[in-house]
Amino acid sequence: MSHLLQLITPALPEVFMAVAAMVLLLVGVFREKESTTLLTWLALAAMVVAGGLVIRSAPVTAFNGLFVVNGFTSYAKILMLVGAGLTSLLINSWAQREKTARNELPVLVMFATIGMMMMISANDLISLYVGLELQSLSLYVLAAYDRDNQRATEAGVKYFVLGALASGLLLYGSSLVYGFGGTTTFDGLATAVKAGPASLGLMIGVVFVIAGLAFKVSAVPFHMWTPDVYEGAPTPITAFFSVAPKIAGLCLFLRVLVGPFGNMIEQWQQVIIFISILSMGWGAVAALAQKNIKRLMAYSSIGHVGYALIGLVVGNEEGARGLLVYLLIYLFMNVGTFAVIMSMRVKGKNVEDISDLSGMAKNHPVMAAVLAALMFSMAGIPPLAGFLGKFYIFVAAVNAGFVWLAVVGLLASVISAVYYIRLIKIMYFDEPGTAFDAPDKLAGTLMVGCGVLMLVIFVLPSSLVDSAQAAARALFLG
Amino acid sequence: MIIASLAFYLFSIIGVIAALNVIFQRNPVHCVLWLILTFFNAAGLFVLLGAEFVAMILVVVYVGAVAVLFLFVVMMLDINVTIMREGFMKYLPMGALIGIILLVELAFVFGGWTMSPAAEGLRLAPAPDMADVNNTQALGNILYTNYVYLFQASGLVLLVAMVGAIVLTLRRRPGVRKQKISEQVARRAEDTLSVVQVEVGKGLQ
Amino acid sequence: MNALPTEGAFAIGLSHFLTVGAILFTIGIFGIFLNRKNLIIIMMSIELMLLAVNVNLVAFSSYLNDLVGQVFTMLVLTVAAAEAAIGLAIVVVFYRNRRSIEVEDINQLKG
Repeated sequence: MSHLLQLITPALPEVFMAVAAMVLLLVGVFREKESTTLLTWLALAAMVVAGGLVIRSAPVTAFNGLFVVNGFTSYAKILMLVGAGLTSLLINSWAQREKTARNELPVLVMFATIGMMMMISANDLISLYVGLELQSLSLYVLAAYDRDNQRATEAGVKYFVLGALASGLLLYGSSLVYGFGGTTTFDGLATAVKAGPASLGLMIGVVFVIAGLAFKVSAVPFHMWTPDVYEGAPTPITAFFSVAPKIAGLCLFLRVLVGPFGNMIEQWQQVIIFISILSMGWGAVAALAQKNIKRLMAYSSIGHVGYALIGLVVGNEEGARGLLVYLLIYLFMNVGTFAVIMSMRVKGKNVEDISDLSGMAKNHPVMAAVLAALMFSMAGIPPLAGFLGKFYIFVAAVNAGFVWLAVVGLLASVISAVYYIRLIKIMYFDEPGTAFDAPDKLAGTLMVGCGVLMLVIFVLPSSLVDSAQAAARALFLG
Repeated sequence: MIIASLAFYLFSIIGVIAALNVIFQRNPVHCVLWLILTFFNAAGLFVLLGAEFVAMILVVVYVGAVAVLFLFVVMMLDINVTIMREGFMKYLPMGALIGIILLVELAFVFGGWTMSPAAEGLRLAPAPDMADVNNTQALGNILYTNYVYLFQASGLVLLVAMVGAIVLTLRRRPGVRKQKISEQVARRAEDTLSVVQVEVGKGLQ
Repeated sequence: MNALPTEGAFAIGLSHFLTVGAILFTIGIFGIFLNRKNLIIIMMSIELMLLAVNVNLVAFSSYLNDLVGQVFTMLVLTVAAAEAAIGLAIVVVFYRNRRSIEVEDINQLKG
């Protein structure tokens, strides 16, 4: 028994979450009532406990090198768990309100979370694949969860087909990397890459792997699914999609590229620069024409992934730090914005058009102020946290000699500021339309909390930046 | 030895033809049958490569489970076969071009396969001599020890698949009468029958 | 590891197997883009792609004389089965809502 405990200790948070998810399934079966409130709170408790276990966990490589725990993975997992926890509260209030609550909903969110934790900790192409699929399969089901809604099922179909295609590309790449590198572990691959000039097959394999991962974080040119899935899936589930999988995916992206393929940086850097510029540019330009606010958020998140990828291009400790700070700020910006979008309800029905926001400042001054703050933050305008995120990324790029990339990023954020500010203009200067219903307590708390946090982070960033710095250092040590 | 080479060409040519039929056939039921043939031939290739266990698993899992699932869904949904091919020719030239470019590039890469100089020493699980242990046993030896993490994780993936499929497709119809055996067995005459004395001229209210 | 000849006119090397894998993979991708009208065939094309990956992995495993590739193959098989189950479930709910399985006319959502 003690031997078994010793064996699973490195993955204790994951094991705990898995057991808790299965217990919740049983609880759901025996309650016989279709309601998610109790289960959501239990799932949240499990996430908190798992977060505590993550903080306590010691750096180690376990399970025959398949699984790694270090400062970086712990930081990423905490970030992801916070995102999953906050959005699962939103999911619960949506499900109760729309009478679509079923016991499996929080459990599926939990399984997706476990998959993301496994992705973040993956130290081998095989464990990467299994974690990624655990996450993706849960997300496909969540996208189509509202099964009587035509748009939600279409979103599920699109997400599934393109997601499976991306998994196929990733796998084909993994098979080539295995064949030409001789091993699947990240440590072994790092040795193989160091040993000699990278063979063409290995490079092709890495390109396929990058394509698969870029798809999962919805970077251009692999973003086609994002607007449709964001628009079609239920709003709080979209909030979940925009936060947790992005964090897990980008952290995994970083670990894969600087870990096993760190010595091939000249080769992959150009690919990532290309993807990053396209994402920033297209995210800014295509968003200008959007009428639906969820589609707008989809393009906005594509743009944000582009900025975050600059941190990956730099490929050093400073870049990783910038990426982590960016993800942290992105997390709260998105949760806050989606809490506002969830509260856009007229007489009990959700509305999603940007024009519905008109004159919100008169009817709901607090909500309008919060959304304005979040939009300014997304545009990267001081004195709000979004500015800091971009600042650390651009500084890392400039210090590493990518001045022109930072300039491109700056230009893209100027373009994107246009549509963020357009929203604010609609809220404050357009003729008031029908007033929204009063936001419920949870969404109200979340949006105000996130809005205030934008200011707080800007004023007191030091502890956050220090922890991100420590996490980034751990990534490059081990 | 030459027989093995001929077997390779047999399996791979039939496999590729069957795969082409999967995407070109009109009738989805035929597509599933061609898919099964493709899998059988791939299993043949695996046997040639000395991976007997994976070959058998491929047949069992795919032909036994996945293909049957596909057939089940194809037959459950009432699909109109004729309209399914509309627009097919529109995409054919472009698709063929991209496909051929991809293929040529990949073939170009494989011509130059050399084992990475470090690969020999990096192997985690060098295959044991086939005379000592057979393929199945060798796989079992590492799957349940070194790779137990993946084994458990794939269990979770299957659980998610089960939960997900049920969440999406199970519908509880109201008003369906089911046989409840326990209630039938527990039924007693005194619960349902009662003897009432009816007075003359009054009747039963 | 395997009994295939390595020399002579009938020599079969790793590249032969990889070519078969590449052909199957290309057919799979091709099938996804070609069959816009039929989700079920798209899913079969995905299965073909995964089969191609398996051919690659087993071939590498055999020629590297390393069992990890076969373990990877078994996991890919497992996950592919799970993926097929979820995918078909999504197709079924899609069909219930729309009475068709055509992808091309998903026009509720644009682009």
